[in-house]
Amino acid sequence: MKKIALFASAMMMLLAVATFAAPKPVLFWTNFTPPFSDYLQKMVDTYNASQTAVQVKMVQVPGSETDVSKLMTAVRGGTGPDVYMLDRFTTAERAAAGVLTDLTPFIKKADPDMASKYLPFAWAESSFRGKTWSLPFDTDTRGLYYRSDLLKAAGIDITALDVKNGPITVDKLKEIAFKYNKTDSSGAYTQVGFIPQFNQGWHYTWGFAYGGKFADLKAGKVTPTDPGVVAGFQFMYDWSKAMGPQKVNTFLSTYNPPNNPPQQDPFITGKVAIVVTGDWQIATMAQYAPDAKYGVTYIPIPKAGDKPSTWAGGWSWTIPKGAKQTASAFDFIKWMAGPDGQKMYTQLSSHLPTIKALAEDASLFPGQHAFFQQTLSFASSRPALPVGGLFWDALTAAQNDVTDNVALPADALAKVIDKVQPQLNKFLPLQ
Amino acid sequence: MTRSTRRNLRNGLLFISPWLIGFLCLQVYPIFYSLQMSFTEYSGFGDMTNIGFQNYSNMFKDDLFWKSAYNTLYYTVLAVPIGVVVAIVLAIAMNQKVKEVPVYRAILYLPSILPVFALSLVWVVFLNPKFGLFNRLGSAIGLPTVDMLGDPAWTKFAIVLMAQLGAGGPALIFLAGLRGVPAEMLESAQIDGAGPVRRFFSITLPLITPVILYDIILGLAMGLQVFTQAYIITSGAIGGQGTAGPRNSLLFYVFYLYKTAFQYTQMGYASALAWVLFIVSVILALSVFKWAKSWVHYESE
Amino acid sequence: MDYQSSAALAQPVRVKNKESFKHMLGVKILPRVVLVLMCLFFIFPFYQMIITSLKTSQELNAYPPTFWPHAFMWSNYPDAVKYIPFLRFTINSLILAAGVTIGAIFSNSVIAYGFARIQWPGRDTLFFVALATIFIPFPVTVVALFDIFAKIHWINTYLPLIVPAFFGSAFNIFLMRQFLMELPKEISEAARIDGANEFQTFWRVILPLMKPSIAVVAIFSGVGAWNDFLTPLLFLNSEELYPLSIGLQFFRSEHAVAYSLLMAASTLVVLPIIVLFLSFQRFFIEGVTVGSVKG
Repeated sequence: MKKIALFASAMMMLLAVATFAAPKPVLFWTNFTPPFSDYLQKMVDTYNASQTAVQVKMVQVPGSETDVSKLMTAVRGGTGPDVYMLDRFTTAERAAAGVLTDLTPFIKKADPDMASKYLPFAWAESSFRGKTWSLPFDTDTRGLYYRSDLLKAAGIDITALDVKNGPITVDKLKEIAFKYNKTDSSGAYTQVGFIPQFNQGWHYTWGFAYGGKFADLKAGKVTPTDPGVVAGFQFMYDWSKAMGPQKVNTFLSTYNPPNNPPQQDPFITGKVAIVVTGDWQIATMAQYAPDAKYGVTYIPIPKAGDKPSTWAGGWSWTIPKGAKQTASAFDFIKWMAGPDGQKMYTQLSSHLPTIKALAEDASLFPGQHAFFQQTLSFASSRPALPVGGLFWDALTAAQNDVTDNVALPADALAKVIDKVQPQLNKFLPLQ
Repeated sequence: MTRSTRRNLRNGLLFISPWLIGFLCLQVYPIFYSLQMSFTEYSGFGDMTNIGFQNYSNMFKDDLFWKSAYNTLYYTVLAVPIGVVVAIVLAIAMNQKVKEVPVYRAILYLPSILPVFALSLVWVVFLNPKFGLFNRLGSAIGLPTVDMLGDPAWTKFAIVLMAQLGAGGPALIFLAGLRGVPAEMLESAQIDGAGPVRRFFSITLPLITPVILYDIILGLAMGLQVFTQAYIITSGAIGGQGTAGPRNSLLFYVFYLYKTAFQYTQMGYASALAWVLFIVSVILALSVFKWAKSWVHYESE
Repeated sequence: MDYQSSAALAQPVRVKNKESFKHMLGVKILPRVVLVLMCLFFIFPFYQMIITSLKTSQELNAYPPTFWPHAFMWSNYPDAVKYIPFLRFTINSLILAAGVTIGAIFSNSVIAYGFARIQWPGRDTLFFVALATIFIPFPVTVVALFDIFAKIHWINTYLPLIVPAFFGSAFNIFLMRQFLMELPKEISEAARIDGANEFQTFWRVILPLMKPSIAVVAIFSGVGAWNDFLTPLLFLNSEELYPLSIGLQFFRSEHAVAYSLLMAASTLVVLPIIVLFLSFQRFFIEGVTVGSVKG
């Protein structure tokens, strides 16, 4: 008994030590993990050393990028951070929910011309109802990667995939990709050329590729039944039908099960020869498949002569409600999202910047990165909706039904409106 | 009230006072707060807007509510009985009188302590349609390949199977129960010529019925609130952007509730979802208790 | 009624003087065969974790996945330990698990006694209230619970993680109550006749009989606290205070998982629990012999 009492009191002391609070620097939370959190720490160190007025402490708060359980409880309880990194496309959603501090007055004071220095789509994502709620940080775009070594070895002519020949049409892609498909004795695929919905082949990817519009911000409407979006879904429907939906699913469960190690990514193992994925794949390839030969080109176009497409995502800097040192916090995020910070991050992470001057600086983009830098000029972005997360999930559910061939594109997408529009109506008008 | 009743009341309250204090300080407020939220439109920040029963009436029009309720019931109906049987079988195994049984016990309990994130990662290796042990063994005895990861008809069963890896926990409870069975009762039954199976069903099983009731209620609570495994095994771990399993086949009720609360920041609607689940759960639990009266055997009564 | 229960006499019943072959087969060989087969299935995940933790990066992309590493990358272990502040996180996890376990043992046994062994008006109603609380989904109540802890300035301390354990949990109360209700009334009555008051009856007579269920509660609470992810994530705001369960999340990033390192770290996280479990087992084996009472 005595021992336990002794142990308990020792523990209480440990707790007391743990509760000891240090003098408060600007507190910055990120859910980035290594190696990206290391890059951020380096930047924070550089910022802290550059001046003495503001000192920043970074804390890693692991969690999913779309999940705000931690932030919500902390902000309510008055224990939230001064600075928080947000998936930029959720800015409108979080602003509408009342999580964020309006940055417009800070921007007016610091640099009224700030908006013009950023890529328009990124600034648009950071805005909601005419106010700015986050400062854009990095971005990423998507392209078509193909394994030239494997395709050539299979005797397939890949000149049409060469980026010099412009974007490839979906029909030509189909012709090339299906030549690579192989099945075992039971009829199960052992390798495939291309699966539209795999990796970054999202609803947005194909919707944009077919010229679709996902929302009309002026009218305050989501428009998933826009002909372009429906056409993009039809493309996925047809492709799936040609390959066999359940056969594709089983192939993906086999070679790309959930939480697959990066080393077993089907594109790296050669099980999938062509894939839509983002600029970060360059770093992945260098790390896990340094000997693989691959090329990068535009996301396929519906028919010859169409303009190529891609879409961009990325992160942003925010000051949550309840932040105690807003002025210092803004000084910090202005630096991180500004030219110095973004340049440093571009070089460390090989992500793309959202500052125009940097995005045009070719010296920052060695090798394959040059291609992605160039795609920024025509990149679309997801509409800045206060129901962005809900919309995304509803679109994903629809896409799932379509690639499984259990629903026709128009029907599946009509359901998305039923699910999302009533929620969006609560926030009207949007502009 | 007689003196002894009064004394018992005082003692009883004294003994349960830690729970009572914790309940009043930490649970009553959150419970009523969530009830209040369920009648409002509320993002979790800022102001609540009172909207009466609208959250509740919206639920019936929400196909994801129905889908997640169906998924959860489907899972619970499968997982609870299977869980009880597997736990009893494990407990009997853990109670064997062989010298090295401590090692077997540790191994059978082992999966229950693995970090659920790591466990989910290796579990998908086991279920791989082509290379996984499950399908390799299956095809060795002539069964067709089952795609438990990608075929919506099978994904819930994959989670049920995975939950059985954690049966070591409940098995420990049953083991403690088996240890309480008076040995002389078993001995005299054996002298009367009862075989091991007969002894189990006529002596051991009736005596561990309180533990079985516990395990059913526990299974019900865990089954109706199943979430974590599905969250990780689907898309949750990386990115967190996708459906909850193929065609939302793993969108369990609390999974949907969690998304509603912390991704879509609709705390009001999430609270209403929670209260519907709570009421249905309590009704189910009460019916289990009522049903259990006919088969649970308490020594002290 | 003579009540005696003893682990030494537990099933299967030992038959002393007949060591026939059939008996050998039934008692020694058959159970072992079945046990080993079951263990093979249950050890598979752990085996998979260990071999993955030892694989090189190249081997991870082998198809089909190898069941035995070609080369053992022992360096994954030191790498994993360096990847996160492993020692710091381990100490934190130990503090949390120890605090929660101690709290759970004390509170739940006392509370369960009050619900099971004393007959008082309103008891069963309150018990159902306690039980009903386990059906309230956590995500909704956590928001208000956080508000309470924030008001009393407990955020970013271990208090919100440990103190609630001292108020008992419905799961454990229910578990212990079920065991206590199995003990015959006569045991308590005998103690009362000897002049013991309620607390003495609990402390001297009943508590020693509760050992197996205390062991279960101790293991469950300890392991639960060790592996709990969501509550520490919500209530702690400094890396210095994080437990290992959060540390493991550092091995995944936006587009990939540091797979071998994660598995190595997970293996290290599990080892102390295995040791703890092996040493706790004797409580099950001892059973309830210590305090057995003849009524």
